[in-house]
Amino acid sequence: MIPIEAFLAFAAILFAIGAYGVLVKSNTIVVLMCIELMLNAANINFIVFSAFTTDVVGQVFVIMTITVAAAEVAVGIAILLNAYKTKGTIEADGLASMRW
Amino acid sequence: MFFDIPFEVPYLLTLLLVIPLVGAILTLFMGGKREKYAKYVAGLFSGVTAVLASLLLFTADVGVYNESYTWIETIGLKMSYILQVDGLSILMVFLTGLLVFMVTLFSSKESNRPNYFFALMLAMEVGLMGVYMSADYFLFYIMWEVTLIPMYFMISWYGGPRRHYAAIKFFIYTHVASLVMLIGIFALVFQAASGGVADFSFAAVLAGSFSETFQSLVFLLLFFGFAVKMPAVPFHTWLPDAHTEAPTAGSVLLAGVMLKMGSYGIIRVCLEATPEGAAHWQSLMIAVGLLAIVYGAYACIAQKDLKKMVAFSSISHMGMVMLGIACLSEIGVEWAIFQMFAHGLITAILFMICGMAGHNIGTREIPLLGGIASKMPVFAGFMMFGFMASLGLPGLIGFWAEFGIIFSFYEYGAANSMIWVIVFCLLSLLLTAGYYLWAMQRTLFGRLTAKIDLSHIHDVSRVESIAMGAICAFILLFGFWPDAVLGFIEPYVQGLTSLGVI
Amino acid sequence: MFIEYTWLVPLIPLLCFAIVGFFGKKTPEGGAYIAIAGAALACVISVLVAYEFFTSAAYSDPGYVTAQIVWFTLPGGYTLHFGYYIDSLACLMMLFASFISTLIFVYSKGYMHEQGVKKRRYYAEVSLFLTGMLGLAVSSNFLEMFIFWEIMGLCSYLLIGFWSFNHPEGDDAADNAASAAKKAFLVTRLGDVSLMAGLFVLLYTFGNLDYANMFSPLSLALADPNMILIGSLLIFGGVIGKSAQFPLLDWLPDAMAGPTTVSALIHAATMVKAGVYLVARCFPLFTQDPVIMLFVAVIGGITAFFAATMALNNMNIKRVLAYSTLSQLGYMFLALGTGGYLMALGLKNLDHHLVIAGAAGYVAGCLHMVNHAFFKALLFLGSGSVIHAVGTEDMRLMGGLRKKMRITSLAMLLGSLSIAGFPFFSGFWSKELILETVMHASDYGTEGYIFSILWMLGVVTAFMTAFYMFRMWYMTFGGKPRHASEHCHGESPASMTAPLMVLSIFAVGFGFTILFGFDSLISIGVDHTNALVVGGGEAKGFEYFTDIFESIYTYLTVALVLIAIGIAYVLYNKREFNPAKFSGDEKSVLYTALTKRWWFPQLYNQIGWKLGYGIARGVDFVDRQIIDGTVNGLSAAVTGGGEILSKGQSGDVRRYTGVVTAGIVVLFIGILAIFWYMEGI
Repeated sequence: MIPIEAFLAFAAILFAIGAYGVLVKSNTIVVLMCIELMLNAANINFIVFSAFTTDVVGQVFVIMTITVAAAEVAVGIAILLNAYKTKGTIEADGLASMRW
Repeated sequence: MFFDIPFEVPYLLTLLLVIPLVGAILTLFMGGKREKYAKYVAGLFSGVTAVLASLLLFTADVGVYNESYTWIETIGLKMSYILQVDGLSILMVFLTGLLVFMVTLFSSKESNRPNYFFALMLAMEVGLMGVYMSADYFLFYIMWEVTLIPMYFMISWYGGPRRHYAAIKFFIYTHVASLVMLIGIFALVFQAASGGVADFSFAAVLAGSFSETFQSLVFLLLFFGFAVKMPAVPFHTWLPDAHTEAPTAGSVLLAGVMLKMGSYGIIRVCLEATPEGAAHWQSLMIAVGLLAIVYGAYACIAQKDLKKMVAFSSISHMGMVMLGIACLSEIGVEWAIFQMFAHGLITAILFMICGMAGHNIGTREIPLLGGIASKMPVFAGFMMFGFMASLGLPGLIGFWAEFGIIFSFYEYGAANSMIWVIVFCLLSLLLTAGYYLWAMQRTLFGRLTAKIDLSHIHDVSRVESIAMGAICAFILLFGFWPDAVLGFIEPYVQGLTSLGVI
Repeated sequence: MFIEYTWLVPLIPLLCFAIVGFFGKKTPEGGAYIAIAGAALACVISVLVAYEFFTSAAYSDPGYVTAQIVWFTLPGGYTLHFGYYIDSLACLMMLFASFISTLIFVYSKGYMHEQGVKKRRYYAEVSLFLTGMLGLAVSSNFLEMFIFWEIMGLCSYLLIGFWSFNHPEGDDAADNAASAAKKAFLVTRLGDVSLMAGLFVLLYTFGNLDYANMFSPLSLALADPNMILIGSLLIFGGVIGKSAQFPLLDWLPDAMAGPTTVSALIHAATMVKAGVYLVARCFPLFTQDPVIMLFVAVIGGITAFFAATMALNNMNIKRVLAYSTLSQLGYMFLALGTGGYLMALGLKNLDHHLVIAGAAGYVAGCLHMVNHAFFKALLFLGSGSVIHAVGTEDMRLMGGLRKKMRITSLAMLLGSLSIAGFPFFSGFWSKELILETVMHASDYGTEGYIFSILWMLGVVTAFMTAFYMFRMWYMTFGGKPRHASEHCHGESPASMTAPLMVLSIFAVGFGFTILFGFDSLISIGVDHTNALVVGGGEAKGFEYFTDIFESIYTYLTVALVLIAIGIAYVLYNKREFNPAKFSGDEKSVLYTALTKRWWFPQLYNQIGWKLGYGIARGVDFVDRQIIDGTVNGLSAAVTGGGEILSKGQSGDVRRYTGVVTAGIVVLFIGILAIFWYMEGI
């Protein structure tokens, strides 16, 4: 039996990679992908705790998270497409015209 | 008063709220070509309100007008729509009705978007009536805030050159104060409920029991909220600015009725609900009152703007009210209420005068004026009357208020063997005479000014003199017959005594 | 049957005020006839009331008739009334105020004839003025009295400032009038504030302010003596303001800026007499403590002397008369104070002789008040007639008018003789009686030496009075005509000279009334209930008569008066010596001090300016800079802080995420640290 700490450590590493990507990458597509990584790290935690406590609610939440993530990507990509159309770039640093 | 009307008007108190509200909505939509009829509609609605409000004076027992409906009722909260009048509020309701009507007459010449102007005025009347009639803290607070918004727009749309600054200052200053007051109200209500249903009605709060420490803390919160509105020195600086910039109608209502909300609140909430807190902070109230009367009077002497001078005189006279309340004696509270009424009438005249100086002469700067009496004799007559009433000439209503309040303060001093404290009051009486007479000497008499263009100068018009004359008549009437006013106040003050408040 | 209608006495002039004020434009002479008729009617009713009172049983016991209604009550058992209180003193005031006012109003018809529309304002205001005085005389309590007292203050303000918008553009006279009116109101207001404080003290001590109650021995005995002392002194403070006594004497000379008839009204019939009346009225109260009366006497003596000095070298005919009024008022207070002092000592030590001696002072004061009313009205109206004829108030431009204005000059001569205290003229009787009483008082009490000084001041004042009055008369009517006199257009119209003639009769002969028992009406004595009551005593006229002529000091005073008249004759009629010799060509320190009124006006201006405007400027600075500065600073701090923080809003998404992540990490570490710390415990 793999101990729970291993799963949690795996999820934490995955989350850290995602967070690192969000922070350093300037390409917004990559940023979106990194957000997906972080979400999935959370999903893994849900599943692990669900399995170890035999409570199905965790799995229900995972399905919901996946749905929301899908919707989010759809919206995110749409925004990026429009941003690319108007600004000609999807670099995060170039999209600063909405600031004060 | 002289006689009692034999019938009751159903839903009279609600009507006093609804009629101006309907009037406000109607006038609001009278833009464009219908603009010139706005004043007639406003006059009609404010006139009817004034008549209904004065009916209260002729009712033997105002207790019959008592409307109580549950408004919001959830698991833990109960807010009601309760309207009541008693000896304290009846005079204020009458004053509101009278002044709004007179001001509508007075400003009938308003030509800049008159529909909005009169709509704002009527909306203000709704709020003022609501404050004075509500017997539920939630309703009271809402109405309190309702008065702010029309006044804000009145100043920032129709005011003088620095109107935006003055309007914002007025709004934020008094709004902050009323939020502090709201905290105090919540404290009262939830403490009175002690875990049960928090009933916001006055009666429920009165029935609650509060410890002395709690009372003295909550008293401070409430007192701050009301003192800013009064306004008490040093929280007064919004007032001169607001008055200088506000249009005449706004100034009259602001000084005439809106400042009274502060002193009304102190009596209605601070004294009734937290009597021990009031006793605890009595010396604070006396200090604030004395500071206001002397400080206000001195500030008046240095003013160059006629209207700003009158604004500071309001601070000084409201300090008198504070002093009367601070005596925490039957006689003190009685005359404080009397002074609220008297000051409402007198200050209306004063601000109309100042407004007219601005309109008919073209400037309110005292150093630019001089010898105006020969050009505008009627104006000079009203000005003299107003100033004399305000400086407490016997035979006019202001004298009795000053006499009563200083006497009650003397009584307080004598009971605490420090009668010398009335020296401050006497000093302020002297200073009051000083600044009014000096202002009159410089504006009305002597050499005719050559510093301004006098070709457009014109005396008081007929409508204006009717509006001012009516108020003057009341000043004279109650000056000769103060008992007519005291008759309403006395039962209320006796009620306070039987509650053990003072 | 008439006493019940006493309230008509002040009401009729009040109605005249309303009628003239609102409809005066439509009536002939701007309402002059209405005002005259009102005053005359008030006078007639006064006579009827007085007649009925003096013939009624109430005159001897209890000495007054009073009726009042409850005006309102105050919590704590204070009751304030409204009503009338008729006793000898009230009758006296009512009679001479309404009578002299009637004459002055008649005179005004001629004097103000050319004033056009302004006449309406004039007659309305003088009617209100008369209302104030008559109401004051018949009031039944202090509060009611105070109201009429203040109404008079208002009217004096309006009337002194009558020329303050003389013609459309205004001139120096208008500025002066406006300033003088303000000064009069403010200075008397200073006194009134003190009086009001006195009312508070008395109301608190006695529970109401009714004369009938407060003056009863029972309530006086129950009251706290300290409170009576404080209250009485404060009330006298009001009198000092109203009657322009030292040190508040400065407004009255300035008040000459008003029309001459108004000056006559203020000086003779109303206003300043109200102060004398109040002291006489408060006698039962003031005599509770000799200190109060001593204070009254000292103030009176000082005023008499100081005011007389200022009149010595003044060139303005009206101002000389104004100073003489101050000086004569000083005599009245000296008389009342001295009489009251003796009486207070008598009441304290139960010495009946002293009470009777004190009554002489009371009689002297009241008699002098009435005499002064007649001769001062005469003098002012006479000077008005002169001013009307020559068009200036400067005596240096007059002279030789004796031939052109025979009636006026004769009337003025009689008035001057009377005020100077020439034997057998009315002023003589009262002035000698005053000095006699003061002399008498110097024998009593530990403060007797003060009265010796006051007596000397009084005698010197009598000398100076005779000098400056005849200086005035000779400069105006004697000698050769000077610039303005040459343009004089003769005697004034009959409506102006007729009142002069009537007043002359009284100015000459009124003093003799004490020989016919007049003094019994105005004497004060202790009745069977131990209360002080005015009137109803036995006539002592002949005793006073013999006292006066048996005293060596009387002859001294008369000699001084004659010498003074002689000096004035030599200097100003014959002009054998140039008066400038004595004044160092008008440059000596004393001369300057007198023209500058002993520098009182400067002093008051400085004090008033510093205490009033100086502090006001300071307050204004604090208000604008510190209090409002704090408020504005607070709002600036809020908006400025927002401004600074908004700089962090760079729009850089990665920086935002960095901050958010860092924040989460910090929070996380913080929570871990707390857990670690808690477990450590």
